[in-house]
Amino acid sequence: MCSACGFPAAPGHWTEAGAANSSDRLRMRFRRAEVLRNVLSTYGLKAYDGGLVPGIQISNQFGNQVIASDLAEVWVIAHKWTGRVVDPLDARFVGAPEKAD
Amino acid sequence: MRLTVLGGYLGSGKTTWLRHQLHAGEFVGAHVIVNEAAETPVDDALLQGSSMLSVLAGGCACCAGKADLVSLLRKICDERSKENPTGPRVEQIVLETSGLADPAPIVEAIRSDPVLVHHIVVSKILVTVDALHALSQLRSEPLGRRQIEIADCMMITKLDEAQASDLGKLLATLRVLNPGAEMFGSIKGGVSPLPSFDGAEPEHLAELSADIDLPPIFPSKLVINETIDWTAFSVWLSALLHARGEDVLRVKGVVRTPAGRLLVQTVRKVVQSPEILPEQTDGLSREDNTIVVIGRGYRAEELVRSLDYFASTAGN
Repeated sequence: MCSACGFPAAPGHWTEAGAANSSDRLRMRFRRAEVLRNVLSTYGLKAYDGGLVPGIQISNQFGNQVIASDLAEVWVIAHKWTGRVVDPLDARFVGAPEKAD
Repeated sequence: MRLTVLGGYLGSGKTTWLRHQLHAGEFVGAHVIVNEAAETPVDDALLQGSSMLSVLAGGCACCAGKADLVSLLRKICDERSKENPTGPRVEQIVLETSGLADPAPIVEAIRSDPVLVHHIVVSKILVTVDALHALSQLRSEPLGRRQIEIADCMMITKLDEAQASDLGKLLATLRVLNPGAEMFGSIKGGVSPLPSFDGAEPEHLAELSADIDLPPIFPSKLVINETIDWTAFSVWLSALLHARGEDVLRVKGVVRTPAGRLLVQTVRKVVQSPEILPEQTDGLSREDNTIVVIGRGYRAEELVRSLDYFASTAGN
């Protein structure tokens, strides 16, 4: 349990498996936040991870802010706040749709 | 020679079971054939416990890869015939089919081949059934039903992860679909007793019309090149499964990460804890950083573009 935020530190979301040591883990958290910022900005959301508090902070332009404990929760929050599912195969991520053969 | 056909839906635990059996010393002297629908084999990396292993990749043995399977089996029979009958020789074959295979045409192909019919007896069709996902597969997938209907023996896997009530319903439904087959349970490849399902109501499965509503399931290969790091990949995959978990049926492959070679496997929305594989010492150049995605309702190039987008923030 984190004494600052009360978040239980649930060990091991599968996405954390790639880190060999704690510095890798921290680097990956920063990188994860960076990737999320890029993706979520297209939905009007912000993602922040300062590396100190467990979890990923998600906020929107209305001042709502919440800490998601892992990626799975990020998608649920994004869906709830925007009413849309963050779909990696959405046109905004795959570019202009090409004509099918 | 006896041939055991190991079938079952995508991600239902075929390789896990076989790996455990090989580890436990079953199938001694067996020739193991692994068939994968995708061009990049992954399962053979897990089955190093077997002494003889052949991989048939790039076509499902019940349709596109049938001719390859028949010629491989003929070769095995041919080689066996040349060996000394009193010495050690291949006594049985285990065929692990791809998750997209219907075992019936495979058995039919062996029985109707003029050479194989004299050498090979199909001794058992073993079908793995995923305790978590099988009911939803049975509701919508004609293939899932065909696999159950043909089984001599059904192995209910992932028992430890299923809810008791769902499990009872699944078992009762399986009993209705295939009353004759033997059933047993399995957890992580080991045999485990099935709970009693007396009194559980089977689900009434609606007739499925031919596959008109569903687009075909196809495998696609995704290369994780040096511009794509593990973090971007894992964020992408997690979003993909959240949004498209019903369509992305199976993802598997080996990705290089700071922690080593990581085996990633998903079944619908469930991601198995990634497993760190040993570095390759056998000199085989297995394709690392290649992921196979099996699913429907999208195009392969969309996966590539989308993943590139997710990874494109590097250095910002």
